[in-house]
Amino acid sequence: MNYTIKKELLPRFLLSLGKNFEVIAPVKEYARPPSFEIFKGQELFLDERTTFSAKKFFRPSKEKIFSFKKDKASFEISPEIDTTKRVLFGIRPCGTHALQALDQLFVKFFGEDQFYSSRRKNTIIIALQCSKACKNGFCTSLGTSQAVGYDILFLERGADFFVKAETEAGKDLLDAEFFKHTSDAEPSFNLECEKNLETKDLGKNLYANFNHPVWKQESERCLSCSSCTQICPTCYCYRLNDDFVFGSDTESERNRTWDSCQLKRFTKVAGNHVFRPSRKGRLRQFVLHKFSYYEENHGTHLCVGCGRCITTCPVEIDLTFIANKIQKDVSEGKK
Amino acid sequence: MAKKKVKIGFFSLTCCEGCGFAVLDLEEKLLKAFEQIEIVESRVLMEKPSPKASKLDIAFIEGSVISNHDLDKLQEVRKKTDFLVALGACATIVGINGIRNVLPGGIRERLKEKAIKPMREKAFPLSAFVKVDYLLQGCSINEEEFLDFLNKFLHGVKPVLEEVPVCFECKLKENGCLLLKGIACLGPVTYAGCDALCPSNNAQCIGCRGFTKDGNFSSLDSLFKDFGLSKKERFNLFTYFNPLPEKLKDLEGK
Repeated sequence: MNYTIKKELLPRFLLSLGKNFEVIAPVKEYARPPSFEIFKGQELFLDERTTFSAKKFFRPSKEKIFSFKKDKASFEISPEIDTTKRVLFGIRPCGTHALQALDQLFVKFFGEDQFYSSRRKNTIIIALQCSKACKNGFCTSLGTSQAVGYDILFLERGADFFVKAETEAGKDLLDAEFFKHTSDAEPSFNLECEKNLETKDLGKNLYANFNHPVWKQESERCLSCSSCTQICPTCYCYRLNDDFVFGSDTESERNRTWDSCQLKRFTKVAGNHVFRPSRKGRLRQFVLHKFSYYEENHGTHLCVGCGRCITTCPVEIDLTFIANKIQKDVSEGKK
Repeated sequence: MAKKKVKIGFFSLTCCEGCGFAVLDLEEKLLKAFEQIEIVESRVLMEKPSPKASKLDIAFIEGSVISNHDLDKLQEVRKKTDFLVALGACATIVGINGIRNVLPGGIRERLKEKAIKPMREKAFPLSAFVKVDYLLQGCSINEEEFLDFLNKFLHGVKPVLEEVPVCFECKLKENGCLLLKGIACLGPVTYAGCDALCPSNNAQCIGCRGFTKDGNFSSLDSLFKDFGLSKKERFNLFTYFNPLPEKLKDLEGK
């Protein structure tokens, strides 16, 4: 069964969900870049994908995993699992594919990470189909332009949204106060991305060109600021810190924070040895992890083509440029 | 935890003593710390004149060495402390005290003539003269970082200075990038730890926490050049807080 909702009713619908859920939506506040925030009636940002991804609601930049207490008589460990009921509205198709990738890693591949999976299970996903291509996006090349794994899908249609409920949990949210039944056909959009990525044998070719001059050429400009990895919806690397509780010698807590392969400290191991010190190596790791190493283990790419890393790079390093350059040299038989 | 309280001293060389006051800003948290620490020598935090301690576990020293008087005091403190922490930009990277290091000769001479106390030829951070065990950077220091250091020290862990740029923390706060707006920001080459205070308030980073070893200076410099900054403007920006130009050698020819 499909529905429609008038666009002007959308904020009211989201606020009404706030009674039972923590509602997350793409918003624009003051002069800040659009990002996903807890919706309290701010101005919604529905033009295109947000500058920052929604991954922080599934993998927060800093999360306390557990605290422990040890004295002579006992040892106590208390994990902190987030079971807040959430509704995530307005995640774009690229974002839904990114969640699939995180599921693959943190539920299936590494074994279930309960801190992640609890947030994931307790979140209802309302995806929003893109009606036009965004700047720097290249989702059409990677087959990530159609949303997957959602509970409800919103599609733009003039002054309305066409609404498709996929799951029971999703259907329960569609209050008759806001939603009308419809038997119309689902609107479809043909996205034309400006950027394109040649994906044929991409992972294999990039890895085979480990020493291609393009790596050095592009990395000379790289500031190693780590913005690309922070802003990426699929970058998941983290570090674990055991932090002391001030003034106590029996309590401590373990925190998980985001980390970035673009930082030198990322590969610091015992004895202070850094095994990937060069800027070239770090930039190459970012690209090869997305296209080669992940593909080897999981059969697909870790990049969803949102183009956030391209938009956010202060020195205009473009991973599609690097990949296409190597692809072109391979197809021309130069490498 | 050790029953004996850790003996701490605060010392000021040439500076505004703002870092010492930043420690006072911790208020209640500092009171909690007093269960484990004892301040035995400090001009700001104790009655005047401050008693002289003969032995210290940690000495926090703020300010730069710009006179022989400063140098004598620094060496005296180094002798009586087990662990020496440089506090704030003046002590860690010489900061604005060192602007005269890069001034043209004539102005420098005039400054020297006008000085109330005899000055040395150049201003230097503590590490130029004595072994410094840890740096707490910033102008002024980040109080939470001070507390974190103290917490680790009291648990017997020596903290490590991580090579992380301001941009890392800036993106965690979901700020828009100032470089994308054409504003010359030193975030990519400056140590994090301040929670990206300036960029979060739309002001560019001016490098008060010191430059990382890993920073890509030549790329950032050519980016500033594209923004339309003259050679002099770029030099002034890079040496605002970091006027020891050995790091900036590669920029000289450009």
